[in-house]
Amino acid sequence: MTIGSVFGAIERNIEKSVILVSYASMAGIIFVEVIRRFFFNEQAPWSTTIPIYMFLWLAWMGASYNTMRRSHLRFTEVRERLPYKGQFYCLLLDALCWFVMGVVVIYYSVEQVYIAYDNFAIVQGTDNVMQWWFYMATPLAWILLLFRVIQNLRQDIRSFTAGRPLTTQAKMFD
Amino acid sequence: MDGILITLISLGVTALFVLGIPIFLVISLWVIGVSLVIDFTLANVGVTLYEGLNFYGLLALPLFILTGDLINAAGIAKRLSDFAYSCLSWLHGGLGMASLGACGLFAAISGSNSATTATIGGIMHPEMTKGNYDSKFAAATVAAGGTVGIIIPPSIIFIVYGFMMNLPIGDLFMAGLIPGILMVVAMQLVCYFIARKNGYGVLQPFRFKHALKMGMRAWLGFLAIGIVLWGIYSGAFSPTEAAGMTTGFCLLAGVLVTRELKFSQIPTILMRSGQITGMLAPLIAVSVVMQQVLSLLGAKEFLTELLGLLGGYYPILFACLLIVLLAGTVLESLPNTIILAPILAPIAMSIGVDPIHFAVLFLIGDAIGFITPPYGLNLYVASSMTGIPYLQIVKAVLPYLYALMATWALVAFIPQLSLFMLSF
Repeated sequence: MTIGSVFGAIERNIEKSVILVSYASMAGIIFVEVIRRFFFNEQAPWSTTIPIYMFLWLAWMGASYNTMRRSHLRFTEVRERLPYKGQFYCLLLDALCWFVMGVVVIYYSVEQVYIAYDNFAIVQGTDNVMQWWFYMATPLAWILLLFRVIQNLRQDIRSFTAGRPLTTQAKMFD
Repeated sequence: MDGILITLISLGVTALFVLGIPIFLVISLWVIGVSLVIDFTLANVGVTLYEGLNFYGLLALPLFILTGDLINAAGIAKRLSDFAYSCLSWLHGGLGMASLGACGLFAAISGSNSATTATIGGIMHPEMTKGNYDSKFAAATVAAGGTVGIIIPPSIIFIVYGFMMNLPIGDLFMAGLIPGILMVVAMQLVCYFIARKNGYGVLQPFRFKHALKMGMRAWLGFLAIGIVLWGIYSGAFSPTEAAGMTTGFCLLAGVLVTRELKFSQIPTILMRSGQITGMLAPLIAVSVVMQQVLSLLGAKEFLTELLGLLGGYYPILFACLLIVLLAGTVLESLPNTIILAPILAPIAMSIGVDPIHFAVLFLIGDAIGFITPPYGLNLYVASSMTGIPYLQIVKAVLPYLYALMATWALVAFIPQLSLFMLSF
């Protein structure tokens, strides 16, 4: 196994891995802690805070995953009826819009991460779990999301130049 | 000058919506554009993308979506559907009516409309097609049935509404029960008449023993409903915890009791639910920012003044509901609620509408929005699931849409339909 193939595997599965870990831990913590409270009268103080932060990772990595799959919610009826060139321009417009939003989000969310880092903000109910670890979800997921936008754009340009059909909207579910 | 620029931005993002830019981006770009015009710091976007999701009650969203997928994989949804069919198979359109009934039962465990449509549709659409139903009508039936997912308790959207408007979520759930059942019955009546007229399905005699047997087989589903409702109303769990409990229950039931759920399936199920969460959660975050920008623009004051000109209880109430319906034709229910509820609820309360009653009316409007073109999420889910073109399902869903609107008007005229359950 080469280093390239390892990086390739990581690149293909990064969103999936984060989604699986964050989703399973969020649901698991809530379920186990309710059972513990109900039957044993005890509950970890962080059981209502850590899941919220796991949700942040889940939400933004999910957004990146949907970008990669082109399955974000959208109205597709007009686009699907446009001529081939029109569809291609719409895909370029998609990429442009993602970049405008992405730059704003990354710039200002990094600021939030820095504030949390600078203030040593700790997750409520814990002694040493830093908030900024979780706040990193937004800028990192958006960097990944923009990387997916570039990948999709490259694929679209190749398809367009080769005259192959363009993907205007993927199936909603895998 | 600002007004002209804001109008141009709004027209621009409308064009983007029409051209198929993701709805999340359409809202985001409007927020960025208007924020720049009114000199509102964009740092707010950075803050709200965290804070908009930083609410424990919102965790019910991914948990109820996951519950929906687990109920399906565990075979519980199939058992509930079989039970509904065993009770209704002797009627014209029995299978379609059973699909709608199954949607109601499913909605009582999961709190998500798309999960309801996807799960019951996945089970019942092939059955209906085999049973001589028109495929488009069958897809429209499950798309319409999914609307009750957010009205019959528990419901994600009631949780969000309750949190935003500071209303007791348990009361909201109770208030949604009768209207939710009425919506199911209204749609079943439509299904009955259409199936009878077109000769869909095959009539089978009602067999009490068979129905009882199917009911017994569906015991896990009824137990899950019991856990959710008992947990929330007894105060044993918060709605989010109830969602977590049903998630865990359905997982264990699928692995240990029905044994239809394999551990190897769990990552796929989590990914599927994660994908839906990844579509909806960013929309929620950005809708919170949009609400803030609308507040700064004085949208509430403007609408209060405008609707005040109508005068009278019903004109103002129905104008509010019309706004909800129109917004629901292009927005998903969560952004619709986050953006409009803080604006419209105070207007409704100022004319004496009970806040719980208005919440139910607002959310029925939201639910109807799932099947209203141009953008009806349930229609897209049904189209994606069945491969039937979106516009064909739009045409087939119209009778259900009219029935739901009639139910909506009925609930609006008779507040007791939503408030009666609170008297206990």
